[in-house]
Amino acid sequence: MTVRYSVAVVVAVGMVFLACAPAFAQQPVAAGRIKLVSGAVSLVHDGRQAPATVGALVYEQDSLTTGPDGRVGLTLRDETRLSVGPRSAIEISRFLYAPADSQYAFALKVIRGVVAYVSGRIAKLSPDAVRLETPSAIVGVRGTRLTIKVGR
Amino acid sequence: MTRASTLVCLCLALASGCGPRRVSAPAAEGTALVVLLADPDTGAVGRATVSNANGAVDLAADRDATTVLTGRAPAPVSPLAADTLATVFGETLSSLPMAPMSFTLYFRLESNELTDESRALLPGVLKAVSTHPAPDVAVVGHTDTSGVPATNYALGLERASTVRTLLTGVGVEASLIEVSSHGESDLVVQTPDNALEPRNRRVEISVR
Repeated sequence: MTVRYSVAVVVAVGMVFLACAPAFAQQPVAAGRIKLVSGAVSLVHDGRQAPATVGALVYEQDSLTTGPDGRVGLTLRDETRLSVGPRSAIEISRFLYAPADSQYAFALKVIRGVVAYVSGRIAKLSPDAVRLETPSAIVGVRGTRLTIKVGR
Repeated sequence: MTRASTLVCLCLALASGCGPRRVSAPAAEGTALVVLLADPDTGAVGRATVSNANGAVDLAADRDATTVLTGRAPAPVSPLAADTLATVFGETLSSLPMAPMSFTLYFRLESNELTDESRALLPGVLKAVSTHPAPDVAVVGHTDTSGVPATNYALGLERASTVRTLLTGVGVEASLIEVSSHGESDLVVQTPDNALEPRNRRVEISVR
């Protein structure tokens, strides 16, 4: 094998690897699923906004907004339950549930409106991994149920 | 007084009456109200800490609440009245999805077959699937600490796959089922390494 040929092989293999790496890294695992919708609710995924529907998957960094009559309920993979009331906006800023590797993270941004939260397994296994964020304060959770209202 | 000046006075009076309300409203824009609630089924109350750069408070009892204005420390904790809770949060609380249901299945010794008691739970899983809207079914295999972690991971996955086959056999749609293994990392009964413990050898099903 000539030197030039082996360099070409290394470069080619490297390029294939680089091309594949982002695909491995991004393999998206859903954070949860919408179980209930009423009224006007929209889901923003990857910068695209669409009406939220029952059964739709929700991913880390997705956000949900509700109209004056909108309500939505979702259950995350770790059994965390959330509901969002009318005139509200939330973002699931972070979700990681990998018990086989003991890796956990959950951050929920309550931008405006009304939210109910029932803790799931992440709060049980790693309470410090849970953060509920409002514009004026951060809520740390040691289990069970909370309601939050942001704004008037 | 002329009719025109009466009108002017009336308008001024109305305007001054409206003024303060308009000014006060935007001040509350980023205000957060945080309320801790007991679990309605068990009565258990968790705990929450509400904090920002200016201070922190702990919520520890049912309906413990705090209000946080932007740039201020969280207000001292006081209980939120039950009727206020219902008015502000009632509709939202009623939109929470149904609680998940869990089932734990055990295997016969040295076997890939479920115990009779565990096999009898399978129709209940199907029933839970049919009552949960847009259901997901998580099937997670667990082992005890005898043997090495990698083998136990594989063994947990094998047991979970066995249970998936049994679930589709009783009518649970295969596409709803997600199979995984926690190997020996999630013990029900804490043991040292290399301990035989039948209660740790299990498959947990959660319908959510």
